[in-house]
Amino acid sequence: MLPLEYGRSEDRDIIVRDRFDGFRREFLRTLVNPEVIEEHRQSALGQHSERLERLLIYFRQRPLEQRYAVRAIEPFRRYQVVRLSGRRGVPPRLVDDAIYTSANDARHGLFLRCIRDLLET
Amino acid sequence: MAQIKIFGYADKISVKPGDTIQFHVSADGTSTAEAHLVRLIHGDEHPHGPGFIEEEIDCAANGTWQVEKQFTQVGAFLEVADPDRKLALDGSITLCAFIWPTWPDVGHRQCLLGRWDNDRNHGYGLGINPSGRLEFWVGCGNEVDYLQAELPLQKQAWYFVAATFDARSGRATLYQEGVVSRYNSLLSKVAPVEYRSHVSEMFRFRQNNLPDTPFLVAGSRDWHALRGHFVSQLYCGKIDRCGVFDRPLDHEELDAIRSGGQPPLDGMVAYWDTTKGYTDRGIGDLVVDIGPNRLDAEGYNRPVRAQTGYNWNGRNDCFRLAPHQYGGIEFHADAMIDSNWNATKTLELPETLRSGAYAMRVRGGDGDGEGLAEEYIVFFVRSRMPTARIALLFSTATYLAYANERFATDGQIVQPMAGQPPTISEVDIEIYENPEFGAGCYDTHADGAGVCYTSYRRPMVNMRPKYRIAAFDLPWNFPADLSILAWLEHKGYDYDVLTDEDVHLEGVAAMAPYACILNSTHPEYHSERMLDAHEDYIAGGGRFICMGANSFCCNVAFRDDEPWIMECRKTGGHWIAWAARPGEYYLATTGQMGGIWTGFQRWGQKLVGNTFAGEGFAHSQPYRRMPDSYDPALAWITEGIEGEIIGDFGLGNGGAAGIEIDCYKLGFGTPPNTKLIASSGGHPDNYIAHDEEGAHAHQGFSGTHNYILRADMVYFEAPNNGAVFATGSIAFGSALPINGFENNVSQLLSNVVNAFVRPGPLPGSNRPRKSTAGLERVAS
Repeated sequence: MLPLEYGRSEDRDIIVRDRFDGFRREFLRTLVNPEVIEEHRQSALGQHSERLERLLIYFRQRPLEQRYAVRAIEPFRRYQVVRLSGRRGVPPRLVDDAIYTSANDARHGLFLRCIRDLLET
Repeated sequence: MAQIKIFGYADKISVKPGDTIQFHVSADGTSTAEAHLVRLIHGDEHPHGPGFIEEEIDCAANGTWQVEKQFTQVGAFLEVADPDRKLALDGSITLCAFIWPTWPDVGHRQCLLGRWDNDRNHGYGLGINPSGRLEFWVGCGNEVDYLQAELPLQKQAWYFVAATFDARSGRATLYQEGVVSRYNSLLSKVAPVEYRSHVSEMFRFRQNNLPDTPFLVAGSRDWHALRGHFVSQLYCGKIDRCGVFDRPLDHEELDAIRSGGQPPLDGMVAYWDTTKGYTDRGIGDLVVDIGPNRLDAEGYNRPVRAQTGYNWNGRNDCFRLAPHQYGGIEFHADAMIDSNWNATKTLELPETLRSGAYAMRVRGGDGDGEGLAEEYIVFFVRSRMPTARIALLFSTATYLAYANERFATDGQIVQPMAGQPPTISEVDIEIYENPEFGAGCYDTHADGAGVCYTSYRRPMVNMRPKYRIAAFDLPWNFPADLSILAWLEHKGYDYDVLTDEDVHLEGVAAMAPYACILNSTHPEYHSERMLDAHEDYIAGGGRFICMGANSFCCNVAFRDDEPWIMECRKTGGHWIAWAARPGEYYLATTGQMGGIWTGFQRWGQKLVGNTFAGEGFAHSQPYRRMPDSYDPALAWITEGIEGEIIGDFGLGNGGAAGIEIDCYKLGFGTPPNTKLIASSGGHPDNYIAHDEEGAHAHQGFSGTHNYILRADMVYFEAPNNGAVFATGSIAFGSALPINGFENNVSQLLSNVVNAFVRPGPLPGSNRPRKSTAGLERVAS
């Protein structure tokens, strides 16, 4: 992170937020393992292990434009994963063509995308 | 071929057989629609339940309707009635106002006040230009001359601004001074911010006024080939006292107004004293002109009154104490409280219509539409002469509060709160893209302020059957409440329906005919009159089943002559979607403080034995029977139920106890004779205790750590053979349809309803009968 990267930002809170985010992501990456992925696949909603819960809380707290959502094409039959715009009035956009046959499958697909974002950036 | 979209609303939400109701429909992509009256029976399409159930009803309006695209004027503004064109000033002029802009850098022009035609460039105006600077302009049709201030306006800072124009010399001046005090603005005086700007320029011509241009505050007239005249250049922010003079006021005169002095009478054409008209019971939409011409202004889309003004000094928190400090009128460019569409069809309801939840189903084109091509315009039919012993009370105030909420896409807190990503449908995206649908009281305006007015005179896409709330992927409020109606149908009970509107307008008289009233899954919002009516009904011998949770929490207000509009101010506690600003906690509609009823020592527990413990949206839990349920005197409640567990199933996240949950608490006024029949617990940590349960947040507020997070199923006897049974759970109603309505939740509710409708003392009661003089009941 270059010190002057934020020079044009008026809101210094963003600098702190992003630094905190960096530390947090570094730690959260250490929590990702096959057991966590499988736990989420089996139960997308509900009481989770602390390891999984920490990851989920982080994903749900991302800035709006970095969050994903499930789009119900046909409730209880067909779902997709979309990404929120974070801009009022601008609709979410599709992230890929994958169709899920249940909301929980879509939530898991969304979770895998969050995990990928966490590990790759 | 264009996609077919159909949206509509009715002018009334509660009607009786024989009444006339109007339907207002707008259509894209089609000029015809197939309409059919339906009675709604079940609204949750969850595959583990009975699915969507409707019953088609014959009526004169069924058939093909001619439909058209209709336009909606969004944005709040004031319009001045000026039939004698006193404000069509074509010579010297002064415009002045105290302003508190909330979004000066929005990037398009905002008109503060003027008689300006934005389409034809005629007239004059004072506003904020796209670079966020104060600007004065005059137009003669061919050309416009502008004068802008030297620096952009600060957001949420009070200014006194003025423009003067001397028609003889052609000199135009702008006067901009900050009137920032210790209390009234975002920044204090320690911030080295420059507010002042004074500029002057010679204009090449004077304004030319068209005869029919209205004088507007917070907008200007515009025109579109399809929709005709409308208002654009909408302003976001507050305006306090403002005026128009037919001469250029000098600097000293403007200084005097800025300092709180009376505006000069010499040359005054109009001066709107925004502090006039307050009473102990609130204020309306009329803004009084104290000038010689009495050119009063009328609010459109309900500009927000009872807001602090430029001279608010922090000592008083309500307009009732210092109305002269509450001159702020707040405008939002996306405010909308009435679509004002032309009526598409008028229907005189059949006299034979039974009481129930109804909708006019409107399908675009040839009638096989679905998705956006299908609309259900919901309304409720009461009984003209109640004969049923049971009433189902629909929480229309709560429906209004949540109307068209967009918090799944705009709410930062929603995913952490919901414990899941949103599940967004096509119609969610439609309303997100189009501000014409208006927002609900869980939303903020685009300028950041909370939405405090909501109305049913616009399409309400979430007061429909089949709808699932995006944030939680559940039927929410109305569609969930249909599961209770479907249960009454399945069990063959004779019942009528009521709405919150009926209870608000008629008080306990609306409830009194019924021996037993069940309310909804989420009876959260109540006016004072509604709350009083409930208390009087129960104390007078009524038997009340509180079917849901988060019950009787929030305080709202309606005007008697416009019951379709509800005011809600969010304040108190931390469980609010937005927070009313300091000094703006009081309802302009009634003068009462807004927020939660807890702030008035009227906890829901005082009424029904339990109220809000907390909420969560991971899986729901079952109830476990508590010792009171084994008391022989109360055995009738659980008769026919085997074992300890009740409701380990449901369409609401798999259990009868969950989503939002209410608990018993003697310290909040639960009647001391209340019995605890069953209770849940061990909810996931996604459930967080409401801050009423602890003044200070700390670790351990969540479900697996905190026994307070539970749904309590309570029962108590009230005076005069009255009684209350409360489920303490939003998910309870959604458990009823499981297994074809044959389950232990259904059994338990049947036991209670059967006992409650039976005349005479309650089962197991050993209390003497008392007089029922306090409440004259038809069903006794």
